[in-house]
Amino acid sequence: MTTLGQLCLLAAFVGSGYATFACLAGWHRADRAVQRSGWAAAVVAVLAVTAATAILGQALVLKDFRFAYVAQYSSRFLPWHYALSAFWVGQAGSLLLWAWLLAVLAMGYRFWPSRQPSPLREPAFGVLMAYLCFLVIQMVFAADPMEPSLSVPKDGAGLGPLLQHPAMLIHPPVVFLGYACWAVPLALALTALFTGRLDAAWPQQVRRWALLAWSVLAVGILLGADWAYEELGWGGYWGWDPVENGSLLPWLTGTALIHASLAWQHRQVLKKTALLLAISTFGLCNFAAFVTRSGLFASMHAFSHSPIGWMFLALMVGLAAGGVGLVVFRRADLRCQKPITSIWTREAVVVVATAALLLLAALVLLGTLLPPLSEIFFGRKITVGTALYSNVLIPIGLLLLAATAVAPLLHWGEPTTVFRRKMLLLAVGGGGIAAAIAFAAGVRHPVGLAVAGLAALAVLALAGALLLDARRRRPEKPWLGLLPALAGSRRRYGGYVIHLGFVCLAVGVTGSSLGTRQHEAVMHEGETVEWAGYSIRYAGLTQRELPEKSVFAAQLAVSRAGAAAFTLLPAQHLHRPQNEWSTEVAIHSTWTRDFYAILHSGKGRERVSLTFIENPLMRWLWLSGWIAAAGVVVALWPAGRRAARQSAAVAPPHFVRLQRRRAVAACLTAAVKKEAPMG
Amino acid sequence: MAAGRKLAVALVVVAGATGYMAYLGASASWQYYLTVDECMANSSSVREARIRVGGRVAAGSLCIADDRRQAAFSLVGTGGDLSVICSGPLPDNLAENREVVVEGRLEPSGLLRGEKVLTRCSSKYNSRIPAASSQTAARAVAEKAR
Repeated sequence: MTTLGQLCLLAAFVGSGYATFACLAGWHRADRAVQRSGWAAAVVAVLAVTAATAILGQALVLKDFRFAYVAQYSSRFLPWHYALSAFWVGQAGSLLLWAWLLAVLAMGYRFWPSRQPSPLREPAFGVLMAYLCFLVIQMVFAADPMEPSLSVPKDGAGLGPLLQHPAMLIHPPVVFLGYACWAVPLALALTALFTGRLDAAWPQQVRRWALLAWSVLAVGILLGADWAYEELGWGGYWGWDPVENGSLLPWLTGTALIHASLAWQHRQVLKKTALLLAISTFGLCNFAAFVTRSGLFASMHAFSHSPIGWMFLALMVGLAAGGVGLVVFRRADLRCQKPITSIWTREAVVVVATAALLLLAALVLLGTLLPPLSEIFFGRKITVGTALYSNVLIPIGLLLLAATAVAPLLHWGEPTTVFRRKMLLLAVGGGGIAAAIAFAAGVRHPVGLAVAGLAALAVLALAGALLLDARRRRPEKPWLGLLPALAGSRRRYGGYVIHLGFVCLAVGVTGSSLGTRQHEAVMHEGETVEWAGYSIRYAGLTQRELPEKSVFAAQLAVSRAGAAAFTLLPAQHLHRPQNEWSTEVAIHSTWTRDFYAILHSGKGRERVSLTFIENPLMRWLWLSGWIAAAGVVVALWPAGRRAARQSAAVAPPHFVRLQRRRAVAACLTAAVKKEAPMG
Repeated sequence: MAAGRKLAVALVVVAGATGYMAYLGASASWQYYLTVDECMANSSSVREARIRVGGRVAAGSLCIADDRRQAAFSLVGTGGDLSVICSGPLPDNLAENREVVVEGRLEPSGLLRGEKVLTRCSSKYNSRIPAASSQTAARAVAEKAR
C-alpha cells in the first residue's frame, strides 16, 4: 500500500504540473483543446491526492505500522478517531491534508455552476493547480507520508496525551481549510493583475471567497483557543506564541481585505490595497507554515527543523515581490477615482479600520520575527513577551470597536444626514449610560469602561440603522418595514451580524484579560476554602481505571452566595502507553464568569494541590464565533430567483439600458420573423 | 482642512500612540534567547537579566516536587550542563531528554532560576517512547499517589 500511495502522489505531481501549464497556456491562446487536456489532468491530480489521502487515512484507522508515519504517530490502544486525527499531527500528513483540501476546493471553484461566468475563472484555476503542485512537490521530494517503515514495529509511538482531545479532530483541519480558501483570492488577484481586468466585478468575486476563508480561519483559531483553554491547564486561551501569531496574521489582513474590497466596490478606493492584501494574506498563510516548519521559532506547536519551511518562505517572498511589481505595473488602472470627501463617510471609517488592522498585523509580525531578525542584525536572539501585544491591542482594539460602532449609521460617498447624526448622538448617549452601569457594577478599569460603552454604542447604532431602513421602506408603520429591510439588504445585515460577533469578542477578551483572579491552595480531605465569594469544599480524591489510562479526580463542591452550588472534578490522567501525566481541568461556565479548577497533584488521598481561577465573560468570547459564523452564512447564502429579479430591477443604469436594447432587438427580430411568410 | 488630510493626521496620531505603547511593552518584556552554551559563555553579561534558554533536559536530572509547582533539572550543553530550578506551573509533558525553553534569570552562582517552562508536543518529535507495561504504569500510579 505504501508503494500505491507513493504512485498516487507522483500522479498528483505530474497531473497538477501539467494542469497548471495547460490551463494557463490554453486560456492565453484561447485553445479549447489544450484547456480541456488541462482540466483532465487536474481531475487526475485531484483523484490521485484523494486516493493518497484515503490510503493514509485507512492505514491510520487500521493501525498499519508498515507506514512509518502511522508507526510514528499512532498506537494499538489509540481509539480510531484519535488515530485518524494523527493524520494532521505530523508534517507529512498535514501537508497531504492541506493539499487535499486545496484540490477539492479548486475543483469546486472551477466546476461550481455560476450565474455570472467570470473571465478570470480559467486562469485562476491554473494558479490553484500551481499551488497544489507546490504542495505535492514537498511530499514527493521532502516529506513523504507514504514512507515505508524500515522494520515494522509491533506497536507505534502513540499520540501525545495533550493531543488526545476532541478539538484535535477539528481544529487543525479547519485551520488548513482556511489557509486553502485564501488561495482563491490570491489566484483572482494575480490573474486580474496579469490580465488588467480590474473592474468592479473583482471585489465582488473576491469578497465572497475572502468571507468564506475568513470565517473558516476564525472558527479554526477559536477552536484552537478553546482547546488551549480546556486542555493546557494554565487558565488562558491565547499566549502570543509564534505559531498562534502565524494563524492570526492572515486573519487580520484578511479582515482588512474584506473591508477594502467593499470600499473598492462602492467608492472605487483602496484598489491597490485590496489587491496587495489578497496576495499578502495568502503569503501570510505560507508564513504560518514557515513558522511551524522551519525550526527557527521556539513554540510548543512547532515541528522539528526541516527544509520545507524555507520553501514556504521562498514562496511568500516571491509572491510579495511579484505582487508589488504587478501593482506598480498596473498603477494607472488602479488610481483612486473618487476621493474621500468627508470623514463622516463609510469609506473614511473603512480606511481607518484597514490602517489599524494593518498596523496591528505589522507589529505582531515584527514581534514574531524579532528573534531571527535580532540574531541577524545584533548577533543575539531577542524575544519579547506578551506585554508588547497586550499594549498594542488596547488602542487598536478600541479604535476598531469605535469604527464598528459608527459604521452602520454612515453612508458611502456622502456625509451622513442630520437625522442620522442625531441617531448617532443618541447611541453615544446610550453607550455613556452603559459605561456608567458598568462602573456601578464594579468595573473600574478605563479600558473596561470604554469597551462597555462602545459595545452598547455598536448595538444601539445597528438598531438605529435598521429602524431607519425600515422607516424608509414603510414610513407610516416602520415596524412593518423591519422584515423587508432585513430581507432586502441581507448581505449588509449579515455583515452587521459579524460586527456583533466582533463586539462579543471584544467584551469577552476585555473581561477575561482585566478581571482574572487566581488562588492557589493545598487542601486536605473535607477542608473548605473561602475565596472571592466562593466556598470550595474538597470532598476527596477518586480513582478510576480505564483501558489506556488511570484517572485521579478531586471532588470539589463549590457554592457562591446567590447562585446554585455545583460540583467540579479536576483530574490528573496517567496515560500508560506514553507513561505520561496530563492535567484535565474542570470548568463551570456562566454568562458572567467561568470558575476554573486545576488539580496539580495528590499527596496521598488526603492532601491535594489546586489552583482556582475566575475568568469573567469567557462565554461571550466563544459566543462571538457562533454569531460571526451565523453572519457569514446569512451574507453568503445564495440569492433566490425572486431576489435576483429584484436586484436586476435595481441594476445600474447601463445594465438597464443594455437590457432594454436587447428587449427591443428581440421584439424587432420577432416582428421580422412574423412578417417574413407574408412577404 | 480636507477630509483626506484629516484622515492622514488621525492615522499618524493612532500610529504614534500605538508605536509608543509597543515600545513600552517591548522594553518591559524583552529578553535574550540563548542556547545552553551561549548562556554559560556569556554568564557575566546576562546575569540578573531576563533570559530564555533552550536546551534538552539531561537524563537522570529531573526532579519534580510533589505538588508539581517546582522542578529541578539540568540542561545539556556541549561544554557542561546548566542547572535549573523552575517554580510555577509545570507543563504536563516535562520529561527527561525533552527539548524545553526556560524563562528566568541567571543567578551569580550559575543557577538558572526559571519562572516558566515551555515544552513541545511529544508526538511532533521523532523519538520513540517505549510503551510502558501495565505493571510499570501501576507502579507509577502508586508512586504518584504516595
